[in-house]
Amino acid sequence: MSETCNLTLELKRLIIDTLELEDINPSDIDPNAPLFGEGLGLDSIDALELGLALQKQYGIKLDSEAEETRRHFASLASLQALVEARRDN
Amino acid sequence: MTFIPLTRLPWRNTIANHYALPNHWIAPASLTRRINAWRLWLADKPSGHWLLCHQQPLEFCAALAALWESDRVAVLPADNRPETLALLLEKVDGTLPDDPGELESITPFAHPEALDPTATAVVLYTSGSTGEPVHLTKRFNQLDAELTAHAKLWPLADSGVISQVSHQHIYGLLTGVLHPLCTGTPFCGDECRYPEGLFARLQEAGAAGLKPVIVSSPAQLSRLPEHLPWSETPRPTRVFSSGAPLALEHAQHTERLLQAPVIEIYGSTESGGIAQRRQTQGTVWQALPGVELAFFDDCLRLRSPFLETPQHWWHQPDRVVPTKDGFELLGRADRLVKIAGKRVSLNHVERVLAAAEEVIEARCVDLGRTDGRMGVVVALYDAFIPHQHDTRHDLVQRMRAHLSHHLEPIAIPRYWRFVDALPSNAQGKLDRALINRLFADLDNHKIPRWLGEQRPGADSCLLTLEVPERLIFLEGHFDEYPLVPGVVMVQWAIECANDCFAELGEFQGIERLKFQRVLQPGARFTLQLTRRDDGIAFTIESHEGRHCAGQIRLQASHGGKHG
Repeated sequence: MSETCNLTLELKRLIIDTLELEDINPSDIDPNAPLFGEGLGLDSIDALELGLALQKQYGIKLDSEAEETRRHFASLASLQALVEARRDN
Repeated sequence: MTFIPLTRLPWRNTIANHYALPNHWIAPASLTRRINAWRLWLADKPSGHWLLCHQQPLEFCAALAALWESDRVAVLPADNRPETLALLLEKVDGTLPDDPGELESITPFAHPEALDPTATAVVLYTSGSTGEPVHLTKRFNQLDAELTAHAKLWPLADSGVISQVSHQHIYGLLTGVLHPLCTGTPFCGDECRYPEGLFARLQEAGAAGLKPVIVSSPAQLSRLPEHLPWSETPRPTRVFSSGAPLALEHAQHTERLLQAPVIEIYGSTESGGIAQRRQTQGTVWQALPGVELAFFDDCLRLRSPFLETPQHWWHQPDRVVPTKDGFELLGRADRLVKIAGKRVSLNHVERVLAAAEEVIEARCVDLGRTDGRMGVVVALYDAFIPHQHDTRHDLVQRMRAHLSHHLEPIAIPRYWRFVDALPSNAQGKLDRALINRLFADLDNHKIPRWLGEQRPGADSCLLTLEVPERLIFLEGHFDEYPLVPGVVMVQWAIECANDCFAELGEFQGIERLKFQRVLQPGARFTLQLTRRDDGIAFTIESHEGRHCAGQIRLQASHGGKHG
């Protein structure tokens, strides 16, 4: 349990810190809610920032224009699945 | 009471009136002695430009007249912060002291019959709310032209002028000091920034048989409290407001409490006065006498004798709609920022926000951060002020949703500061220093989020603060139940007290310390600080009640004070 839980919290923190979401607590992020548009309200600049952070933290390279990337960024849960599958550390 | 222009030295030509004036008031006819004292002090000093920065209108006015009589130029800094003054030091020939000393002989100094109307009278600085302060010179004929317009529109016969704004800026200088000076009208500008002071001056005016005229700003009028018995004071002839836009609601509030018309003056340091209106009677701005208006593509241009080059058209960077007898103001034309390569109009964002039911007014700020994201300071009606994380979070979501109907996602501000009224400096402006304070917690994760403060007296201060969610001290506690450690609350009290009060000295100990309630991230709270003989007392409270209180003993370090 703890590893998944830890990664969930770690990713929430990564999103909050990278994007300076000062009014968001980790518990405000619903793992299944959309990160962009409605839900957290992130935008295309945030996607770029988040892409850079993932590369730095986990060595995951993403093409921010690709349709696949959009799928990975759909929710925290999908982002977590990506990190679990492709992290290099 | 006749109007005498500055070039005819009104301070030397005013007939003493018979009003018995209390302490805070100045009768222009009684200035002569102080002017002579300044003349004596200046007698062996170089000519040229002199830095003049006096809070007290009496010494300010006397020093100004002495500089002018001796063919010198007064340089008026925008504020009296040491950094501001240090920057100006190299540009002037000298700085006037606080006090020239007492004059030994009361023999009047020889003074010229008239001053050269084309000579420079003052150098002024803009407040720098939109960038670096810019300096501007004003000739005597510019000032006299504008004062003549004031005298025509708003004669001061039998009046007493009470100014709540700084005379270091054009509006306060003309309306609060020079107009009374040119008409021999008693005036005061000391200790009346706050409502209680204003109330006392109003009563004094009444007792002296003077009809009060108030020179104020939106910052003060928006905070005019209901609890003072205003009906016991004489009704002012009028209340002036300038320096920033005045909300209609605040104009109505002021008119109701003071039973006097609120006249707004629109203009800038560069343009001088442009137009005026009484908002409760109509939204249209009417040009001041002598101001010629033209409209091009929504933009305002004007010619007036108040301008540096009266024959040239001046482009005022505001968007307007012409009307039959004037114009309506839409907002500044040049407040555009680029976010991720897209142009965003700050005015537009502010207008959309102001349309939300929770919002009184909003101010967008370009914080100059690497992410390019905007901050916004939003004044809310009391009922909508968020007091804890959840309500704040929901409010931000609501605001974002509201904006998303009108704006691209990128133009939606990221950093939100909710206040009950926009913080403002002595000139009534939300300046860069205040903006920096509101957003300081973005880069410093050890401090509380500052949302405003009140200073009811020299020894007390009430700060409104918020616990930032990213406060570094929250770490190490339970993730599910983060809270501010007690020692951090005490540390904040000491740090804030050091900002509020000078020379508090070193920490000696804590007494009567009580922790009554936990303080969680996102909580909005107040920190009440009171200075005591041996240190400070503090209380931290929120909507939930009292969180913490105590007394901190501090000892002044030796040799800190100058004799």
